[in-house]
Amino acid sequence: MLGFHRSHAPYTIASQRTALALCARVKTPLLPRRRCQHVRVLGVVEAGWPSPAEEELLDTMSFDEYLAPNKNASYILRVKGDSMIDAGIHPGDLVLVERTTHPRDGDIVIAEVDGEWTMKVFRQQGTRVWLDAANSAYAPIMPQQELTVIAVVRAVVRKYA
Amino acid sequence: MAPILSLKSFPKAIIHIDADAFFASCEQARDPQLKGKPVVTGKERGIASAVSYEGKALGLKRGMSLQEIRRICPDVVHLPSDYETYSLYSARMLSIVRDYTNLVEAYSIDECFAEITGLRRPRRMSYQAIAATIKHDLEVKLGLTFSIGLAPSKVVAKIASKWQKPSGLTVISGRDLPQYLEKLSIGDVWGIGKQTASYLAQFKIRTALDFAERDEGWVRNHLTKPHQEIWHELRGQAVLSLETEEKQTYQSISKTKTFTPPSSDPAYVFGQLSKNIENACIKARRYHLVARKVFVFLRTHDFQHQGCELTLSRATAFPHEIVRLVGAHFHQVFQSDTRYRLTGVVLTQLVENTPLQLDLFDGPLNVEQLERVYDGIDRLDKRYGKHAVFLASSLPAMRKGQHTGERGEVAARKRQLFTGETERKRLGMPMLGEVK
Repeated sequence: MLGFHRSHAPYTIASQRTALALCARVKTPLLPRRRCQHVRVLGVVEAGWPSPAEEELLDTMSFDEYLAPNKNASYILRVKGDSMIDAGIHPGDLVLVERTTHPRDGDIVIAEVDGEWTMKVFRQQGTRVWLDAANSAYAPIMPQQELTVIAVVRAVVRKYA
Repeated sequence: MAPILSLKSFPKAIIHIDADAFFASCEQARDPQLKGKPVVTGKERGIASAVSYEGKALGLKRGMSLQEIRRICPDVVHLPSDYETYSLYSARMLSIVRDYTNLVEAYSIDECFAEITGLRRPRRMSYQAIAATIKHDLEVKLGLTFSIGLAPSKVVAKIASKWQKPSGLTVISGRDLPQYLEKLSIGDVWGIGKQTASYLAQFKIRTALDFAERDEGWVRNHLTKPHQEIWHELRGQAVLSLETEEKQTYQSISKTKTFTPPSSDPAYVFGQLSKNIENACIKARRYHLVARKVFVFLRTHDFQHQGCELTLSRATAFPHEIVRLVGAHFHQVFQSDTRYRLTGVVLTQLVENTPLQLDLFDGPLNVEQLERVYDGIDRLDKRYGKHAVFLASSLPAMRKGQHTGERGEVAARKRQLFTGETERKRLGMPMLGEVK
């Protein structure tokens, strides 16, 4: 099976090795001695498929890129009231907003009302603009003169513990 | 008289961007209640480090003391500085300008130069339109206003950005140069100090135009190279290049800190000094520098200064060695009947930290061991925050905050933490406060 021609060949070789002090005979099993173990590891030989991780990960994005693609215009705010609760934005949440001067109908925006930031849904029909809350307890805000929208909400972050 | 200036309007197109009342504007952009009000930052220092335009209109100036500010304008909004937020805005300003050109020089926290030469064709815009686009982009994304100057050289671009503030865009082409220089006093030119201005006055040079019209031979005979360069720049010939590389090294490193209330306790004042020495050494080690000389000084409560310069036996960035030396000379500077409000240290004659800088008494082994100790300290600081490990001599200063009373107020961003943020580490994005 091992390519020997005679059945006692392994014994002969083993005896020679033992004589050369390459193997130690401990009762029956044939063990290699330390001298044989001194093989230096020169690195790992790759077997099987090469890892695709490095190349595949080139095209993934970080949470930063995902939540704030336009980083230079992005800001964070802490939510205080419950006026957007039906939109899933709770008091204490962190909202990520992007400064812009051109909101679109239906965007959740940050506007300046009476010297405070307010977060509402921006509505525009024709030339008429107003702000809707996402909570039936709040009335829509109809601006008297002008409406200052400074940013559009891009993401809501709620971190537990 | 030599003809001033080139025929081309923009042999080079350089813009200088200056944020208007930067620190105060950052605060106003954050809080809509501050809009249109006189806002002053620097409360923790007891002075105005920036004044909003509303405050400037009332006569408030940078550097004014708290009492002076209150006297002129009782309802002023005085805020503690939030350098973390200002730095975020500053980095964004550079990043936005770099979207247009990679030749950007960060001149200071609120100013930069950018070269846009050759961008007319790819952008299909005039230089003025490019400058206006950058200005608009900055103002929309940051919510502050900027004053921009466009000119053929750095010195003239700086004149242009100052010409109309706030929110100005001033274009000075090569052709228009004389009419601007004519109205500008020579002392207001960037790089011309008081001494040079009075020296030039002897030769009947009063305006920038008087200077620019001198012939080259005269300038070469009478002035040093930096001023010769200004002469070229004023004539619209760009000779100063943009330094686009980040600062890699320092000539000197200084750390000063005020504290309130003023103290006459030698251990406390020395503790403050020791803390400054540690801070200066941390910075020196970060840039792989060692100092040969150290200058320490104290400021009394009535703004008198006392200091001394000391020479180290071996160039070092190990605070315990400097503290030991300073400690031996502290009594020469400190007077027990005086109250002090500030300590400062300047590390000078900085050289690259090469492995073997030994004196007669220090074996290489000792220095190597110390290098390992401080390497460990620096790594601990990185992980657990600055001053995770500090010298016992700094303890009196570390025990309590730098300021007590109203100057001890901390910036809003440091008080309003999000879940997961710590006192040491916060999200790297400016916060606009609370929204209802």
